[in-house]
Amino acid sequence: MNVQRLYRMLLRTFPKDLRDEFGGQMEALFLAELANARGFRRWRLWQRALADAWRHGWGARRDSWSRFRKTSSYIEYDLPRWRMDTLRYDLRHAVRAMVRQPGTAFIVVLTLALAIGANTAVFSAVHTVLLRPLPYTQPERLVMVWEKREAEGVMKNSVSPADYLDWARLNQSFAAIAAFNGAALDLTGEGDPEKIEAAGVSAPYFDVFGVGALYGRIFQEGDDVIGRNHLVVLSHALWRQRFGSDPKVVGRPIMLNRVSFQIVGVLPSNAKFPNTEAQIFMPLVMQGGVDPPTRTSHQFLVYARLKPDVTVVQARSEMDRIGRDLEKQYPTLSRGHGAHVTPLAAEIIEPVESTLLVLMAAVGFILLIACINVTNLLLARAAGRRREMAVRSAIGAGRSRLVRQVLVECGVLAVAGSAFGLAVATWGVQLLAAQMPVVARPEAGIVLSIPVLLFTLATTIVVALLAGALPAWHMVREDPAEPLKEGGRSPVSLRRRLRFGLIVAEVALTSLLLVGAGLTIRSFRAVLSQEAGLETSGRLTFRLALPFRRYGDGVDATRFFGELESRLAGEALIRQVGANSLPPLTGFDGRRGVVIEGRVVGPDDGPTRAHPRSVTSNYIQAIGARLREGRGFLPSDDAASAKVAIINETMARRYWPGASPIGRRVRYTDQPEQWREVVGIINDVKHWGLDAPVNPEIYLPMSQAPSEAMTFVLATNGDPLSLIPIVQRHVRELDSNLPLFQVRTMEQVAARSVERRRWTMTLLGCFAVLALVLAAAGIYGVMAHLVSLRTPEIGVRLTLGASPLGVMRQILGQALVQIAIGLVLGLGSSLLLMQGIRTILFGVEPTDPLTLVLVGVSLLSVALLAVAVPAYRAMTIDPVSSLRQSA
Amino acid sequence: MPQDRDRPERFLPLKPLVLDILLALADGKRHGWSVVRDLQQREGGEKLLPGNFYRTLRCLRDDGLIEEAPGDANEDPGERRQYFRLTRLGTLVARAEARRIRAVMVDPRTQKLLKAR
Repeated sequence: MNVQRLYRMLLRTFPKDLRDEFGGQMEALFLAELANARGFRRWRLWQRALADAWRHGWGARRDSWSRFRKTSSYIEYDLPRWRMDTLRYDLRHAVRAMVRQPGTAFIVVLTLALAIGANTAVFSAVHTVLLRPLPYTQPERLVMVWEKREAEGVMKNSVSPADYLDWARLNQSFAAIAAFNGAALDLTGEGDPEKIEAAGVSAPYFDVFGVGALYGRIFQEGDDVIGRNHLVVLSHALWRQRFGSDPKVVGRPIMLNRVSFQIVGVLPSNAKFPNTEAQIFMPLVMQGGVDPPTRTSHQFLVYARLKPDVTVVQARSEMDRIGRDLEKQYPTLSRGHGAHVTPLAAEIIEPVESTLLVLMAAVGFILLIACINVTNLLLARAAGRRREMAVRSAIGAGRSRLVRQVLVECGVLAVAGSAFGLAVATWGVQLLAAQMPVVARPEAGIVLSIPVLLFTLATTIVVALLAGALPAWHMVREDPAEPLKEGGRSPVSLRRRLRFGLIVAEVALTSLLLVGAGLTIRSFRAVLSQEAGLETSGRLTFRLALPFRRYGDGVDATRFFGELESRLAGEALIRQVGANSLPPLTGFDGRRGVVIEGRVVGPDDGPTRAHPRSVTSNYIQAIGARLREGRGFLPSDDAASAKVAIINETMARRYWPGASPIGRRVRYTDQPEQWREVVGIINDVKHWGLDAPVNPEIYLPMSQAPSEAMTFVLATNGDPLSLIPIVQRHVRELDSNLPLFQVRTMEQVAARSVERRRWTMTLLGCFAVLALVLAAAGIYGVMAHLVSLRTPEIGVRLTLGASPLGVMRQILGQALVQIAIGLVLGLGSSLLLMQGIRTILFGVEPTDPLTLVLVGVSLLSVALLAVAVPAYRAMTIDPVSSLRQSA
Repeated sequence: MPQDRDRPERFLPLKPLVLDILLALADGKRHGWSVVRDLQQREGGEKLLPGNFYRTLRCLRDDGLIEEAPGDANEDPGERRQYFRLTRLGTLVARAEARRIRAVMVDPRTQKLLKAR
């Protein structure tokens, strides 16, 4: 920052009219002096400028307030100099007090730092994901349109080309509506071959998000007609990396999957789209050849921009009507289908909302506990200083003077805590940004939010000052002679009651946090103990996608995958090889309508559906799944032989209840003649994640249902990662232009599927431990202080014959009452409050008794430990010396 | 009839900075910057703070001790400076303060104090 701007900031203390009139001259004057000064004198000048701004800036504001001031006071030092001097004195005193009692100061500062840091970090994440507006033009008018099948409870299905075209043609609500389909492409030609994320989009896509072209043009109507569709729009990032930001790139060819496309446009750097980081956009072809667009293959995400005067509700009711019309028009294909409009913001936020809100509540509790702790400690400290204050008051210190000193001391602690808190927050934000598994808004990135930081700082500082003001206020009201009498033993009932309440509250809040953390940990264990239906250890997975242009519609792809499978099977290190078009636990899925032979579909039954997977004959053994009935696929189940299928247990139960499906027949709804015989039943394999329910799945031999992309699973007895070079060699030998992607061990795949749960559990666990530590520190601090206050009294009782054990029992008993009340309150309210986190739990009730008992026991033992030390100290008090102390 | 607000005695005694400013303007109109230079040379250049100076200047103007004066006709309009001069009240106040100081100065005890130094 340059000196001019710094001085202008100082000048802001002056009233605006004065600044407007003389600001320029003042600045010139100061800068001229500064230019003449060197070294230390420069610092001196700045110091003087600061004092000038402080004294005369505020002073000048008062000039404007009171025109009828005493004229002779309008110059020089009318903000009394002694205030600055005493402030300096109080500051020095506060720092000395901190050094003298480093224990209390350390706990207070640490408490504040952790609370501020954790709060700011988590709230920053919340702010980024939930509160900050989406980075699109008028984001509130963006919606997504889904296909819905209310009868099946499915509200958000992807959309078929025919439905999209009908919606686009019939609707009146949208200014633009666009379809999107993600893809991965091989970018070849100049430079290394590279797998890049691409998107097929219909022409209005860029209009929906209000994005124009930086160079060239965006898509227009007619770009999606086969033969004229070999066009691409480049993202700004790809244009920069691959084409060196060359503006003349428009019109040049680019090789994608070995086919030449023409670059028609480049997007600006601020162009952002939801759910994708696509580098290349190409026109989405709805209609291949002469057949009409399909209504049964659901593949698109549909985004739309509402017209300015249309609300989401209006759009929803219009789309409902259109859905019903289409249902009448296509009774077989669209039975039970409708359209569902949801705001885009909700789509993006929903998946993480509950987790973030739970975390937010957790850190809110931490902040509360921290505030209680600080209040407790400061109250205790103030009680210990009643004598000191009384002495100062007796020798002439004014009351305002005493109060100010206490406030300054609390302020110093608060500022120190804030400074460390800022450091913790910065670090915490980095940690969150790096660890947050499913960043709902990758375009946003988590950054430290300044408003959030300021809010947290303000909260803690206000609390610290209040905690300081409370005893100070009490002190000035009490007779200064009182604490000096008889060693100042009169306890203050108000403060005692308050402290009692604070310990209870602290225990209650901590138990709430512990219950929350305990429940998520139990959920996580429940998730991990779920049967995945496959073996995760000793398995490597990788995916290969064959360019359609080179491999055509199936035969070549099947041959390629078959060849690769047999080559890999020949390797000594590899025990089993299999491949699946839509492998488990990865998020790849598809769904098709099926017809079960002989099954009568009642009017209330939803459409019969199954999730298809094309697999190689060894796939079931390769993933370690089990055949429940019938047989697996054989090499003889090829394109020429009879069509066969294997189904999972869920499908068998749902569509052939009480009967064996082996030997029965099934077909896809849109392939009337192709019946397939069910030859086997495989156990249920978790597809969307360990905690997700299993859908009906139908497995087909790859040779009878070719797929251009397969995920291979290799089983080995050794380290799965050591297989990678072998795989790479074989793939290269077969096709040197094919990149491998998603190379992971099956264990990594499984871990990814529970990542968010693990993240939530880890964070909540950390917060719970933090709360426990804070609570223990707080309880210890207060009890220790209480014991030291009561030392003379205990001394008297010991002298009069009380047994040390009795004294200890009494102190423990008192503490126990507070802790027990806090526990009952906390656990009781958790029964109610934990209903709020039901959505993030799995396999555990919010009122899980085991968790409650464990939390109660652990909190009780930690609290008792914190009390035991001061109680033991009370027991070992030497009566003689304590009496001498009080005399 | 002059209001109570405008009696010169009401402003006495003057703070040193005020008297300095009034004295600097006693010879005729000057702009703020040249007053500052004048004062700094006399004061040893250290003590005058911009905030203090301009705040005082504004107060003096608001109280009617000084007023803004038109600049020189041949001045470059792009560099027009703000000129100030004493008002009648300002002159009266400065004169009253000068008289007060003179009364102090002619006192033989003052002379004795000064000699003793």
